[in-house]
Amino acid sequence: MATHSLDIGISASTLLEIYRQIARIHEVDDAVRKGLSGGKFVFTYWPLTGQEAIPATLSTLLTDDDYMVTTYRGLHDLVGKGVPLRGLFAEMLGRQDGVNKGKGGSPHVSHPEVGAMLTTGIVGAGAPIANGLALAAQMRGERRVTVVNFGDGATSIGAVHEALNMAGVWKLPIIFMCQNNLIGEYTRIPKYTASESFVDRATALGFHGERVNGNDPVEFHRAMSRIVADVRDGKGPYFVEAMTLRLGNHSGLSDNVYFTSGELEEGRKKWPVSATRALLLESGLASESELEAIEQAARDEVADAIEFALASPVTPASDRYNDLFADESVVPRRGSYPVRKDKAAPTGGETAKMNLVEAVRDAHDVALGLDKSVYLLGEDIGEPAGGLFKTSLGLGAKYGDDRVRNTPIAEQAIIGCGIGSALVGMRPVAEIMFNDFVGVCLDQLSNHAGKQRYMSGGATTVPMTVRTICAGGVGGLGAQHSQSLEAWLLHSPGIKVVYPSTPIDAKGLLLSAIFDEDPVVFIEGMAIMYSIKEQVPSGDYRIPLGVAKVRREGTDLTLITYGAFVSRTLAIAEELANEGISVEVIDLRSLMPIDYHRVLTSVKKTGRAVVVHLATEFCGLGAEIAATINEELFRDLKAPATRVGADYLPIAYSADIERAQVPGPDSIKARIREIMNF
Amino acid sequence: MPKLSMSMTEGELAEWLVPDGAEVTEGQVIYTVESDKSTQEVEAPASGVLKQVGKVGETYAVGDTLGEIG
Repeated sequence: MATHSLDIGISASTLLEIYRQIARIHEVDDAVRKGLSGGKFVFTYWPLTGQEAIPATLSTLLTDDDYMVTTYRGLHDLVGKGVPLRGLFAEMLGRQDGVNKGKGGSPHVSHPEVGAMLTTGIVGAGAPIANGLALAAQMRGERRVTVVNFGDGATSIGAVHEALNMAGVWKLPIIFMCQNNLIGEYTRIPKYTASESFVDRATALGFHGERVNGNDPVEFHRAMSRIVADVRDGKGPYFVEAMTLRLGNHSGLSDNVYFTSGELEEGRKKWPVSATRALLLESGLASESELEAIEQAARDEVADAIEFALASPVTPASDRYNDLFADESVVPRRGSYPVRKDKAAPTGGETAKMNLVEAVRDAHDVALGLDKSVYLLGEDIGEPAGGLFKTSLGLGAKYGDDRVRNTPIAEQAIIGCGIGSALVGMRPVAEIMFNDFVGVCLDQLSNHAGKQRYMSGGATTVPMTVRTICAGGVGGLGAQHSQSLEAWLLHSPGIKVVYPSTPIDAKGLLLSAIFDEDPVVFIEGMAIMYSIKEQVPSGDYRIPLGVAKVRREGTDLTLITYGAFVSRTLAIAEELANEGISVEVIDLRSLMPIDYHRVLTSVKKTGRAVVVHLATEFCGLGAEIAATINEELFRDLKAPATRVGADYLPIAYSADIERAQVPGPDSIKARIREIMNF
Repeated sequence: MPKLSMSMTEGELAEWLVPDGAEVTEGQVIYTVESDKSTQEVEAPASGVLKQVGKVGETYAVGDTLGEIG
C-alpha cells in the first residue's frame, strides 16, 4: 500500500475492494464475450459493460443477509452479490453444476445463500417481488435491506409503478436501484418518456429519491452508505437513479449503434473499470503491482470457473420433471396417474354450521393462529371491510393490520409481494377479488410464481396461496366479472389450482393450500358462497390436494365436474335417475394436481364420461380430460368421452343470453342423453 | 459461427481477415460475420495457426465450425 495517499473521501481498503469487484465483473464480462465470439459458448447475453461500478460499490455495503433482485442484464449484480463464479458459469452454460442446475440460465439466476433471490427476464417484474422480500424482513423485525435493480427502461412499466406505490405506503426497507444507462433496450430517452428525472416517480409517491453518479465509486459509495444505513434503520424505501452508460448493445456482441460515436468515446473515457484503476493510482491509494495482482486473481478465478463449467455435464433430459413442484408425481404426464390417499374431514368432534364464506374465514383464522409466517393481503381484506365477501371479517382485529393487510388496488404488486415473501419462507394468502382480474397479474403468477422453483432448480420455492372469486353463472356481473379462468392457470406450468364445492372441502382444501410448498390458486364459486350450509369441523384439518371425490355413485355414466357445478349436477343426476339413467358424479376438488386415477377408475366402470364446467368449452379443462379418457379407455368406452362448457363468448349482461351461454340443467341433460343414446 | 445477438440463428461468413495457415494471436480480429443486416468483427479466441474451414459468402448456422486454431 502506498504510504502517501490523497484523501478522496473513501478509505483505501474500501476503494480497493470496490476495484476488486469491478475487476471480477469485468473479467466475467470479458470471458463471456470471448466465449461467445469464439463459439465456445452459445447463449444470449445482455451486456452490462459500463455498469460495473454500481454492484461493485454496493458489495461493500451489503451482506449475504441482504436481499437482491435483478434482471437479465444483471450479471454484474450477481457477481457483485457474491454468486460463486463456478456455479454461475455452469448455469449460463446449462450445466448440471449450475447454481440452478442449468434450468434457469443467465436470465434466471437465483442463489439464496448470498441473498441473490431472483433474476427476472421480464422488464420491471422484479420490483413487486422485491417488495415481498422487504416485507418479510420488516414483519420479522430483521435489519435486512432489499435492493432491486432495474434499468431506466423499466420505469415505464406498470409493475414498477405499483411496486413503488406499495413500498411507499408500507415504508418497506427497500432500495429501488434504477441503473439509468440512458437507453431502454433499443430506444433512448426522451423517445420513451417525457420525464426529466426518474427520481420524481418516488417523490410523487411520497418517499425519497436521489440521482447519483453510478460510475463514480467514490461519490456512489458516499451516497449509498447513507442510503443503505437509512433504509436499514427503517426510514422507509429509497429510489436511487444511478447514472451510468451502457457501452454494449441490448443483447449480444454487436456494436451499440444507438449512441453517437462521440457519446460512446466519452463513455469509454469514464468507463469505471479504467477510471477506478486510474483513480487508485493517481491518488496513491494503490500501486500498479497491487492492481495487477487483483486483476490476475480475477482472471484466475474466471478461468477456473470456466474450466469447471465446461467439465460439468449438460443437465440431462432425465432431470426435466423434477423441480417443477415439490412432488414430481404432480406433473401431468401421459400414462402417469398416481394414486393419492384421501383423507376425510374429521367426524365426531366439534362443528359449526357454516356457508363457504364462513368456512374460508375459519380456515384463515386457523392458519393465522397456527403459523406466524401466514399473513393475508389483498384489496379491502383488512379492517374495516374484511373483504368484499367478508372472508376475513374480524381477522384484522384479531391478528392485526400487519398480518391481515389491506393493499393498494394493484394486482401485480399484491402477487409480486406474495411471491417475494414466499421466497423467504412466509406463507402469504393473497386475494384477487375476481377471477377475471388474474389477467392483470398473470405475469407475476405465470412467469414468476409458477416458474420460480423450476428456474431456480429448486433453490427457491413459492409457497403462496391466491384466493379468487369466480362470479359466473350467477347473473348480472357481465363480461369482466364472470369468467372461470382455470384453463389459463392450468396451461402455465407450476401453478396448482383448487376449486372447492362445499364449505367442508373449502376449509380443508384451503388449509392444505396454505401449507403447501407450491403456489396454489384457490377459486371460490360465487354461486355457492352462501347457498350451501353444512356442519364444518372446528380446528385444523386438511383435505389433500389431487384427490377427487365420488359424490354420487352410478353405473351408466361418469359426470366429472368441480366448484358450483357439483351441487348443480348432483340435482341433475337425481332427475336423470327418474329416467333410468344412473349417473356417477365425481368432484375433482383440485385441478392441479388432477386425480386421473379416480376419474379413469370410474369411467372404466361406467363406460361413459361427460365433463361439465362453467369455463369456456373450447380449449377448456373438459377437452383435456375427455382426450385422456378417450386415449386411455378407448376399448372400454360405450361412447366418446365429451364435455359441456360455456359458449366461446364473453358473458353477456342479458340474463337470457347468460343463461343460454353457460351450461344449465337442460344443456347438461341433453348432452348426457346424447351420450347414452350414442 | 458465434451467436452475436439475441435473434441470431445463422450468419454469413463475410470475410477472412487473415490468410489460411497464418499465425494468429488471441484477441486479433480474424474474420467478419454478416447477420441481422450488420457486419461484426470476430476475434480469435486463442493463439495458434489458423485453419480456415468456412467459405466466404456462405451462410452457417450458429455453432457451425468456421475454422480451427491449433
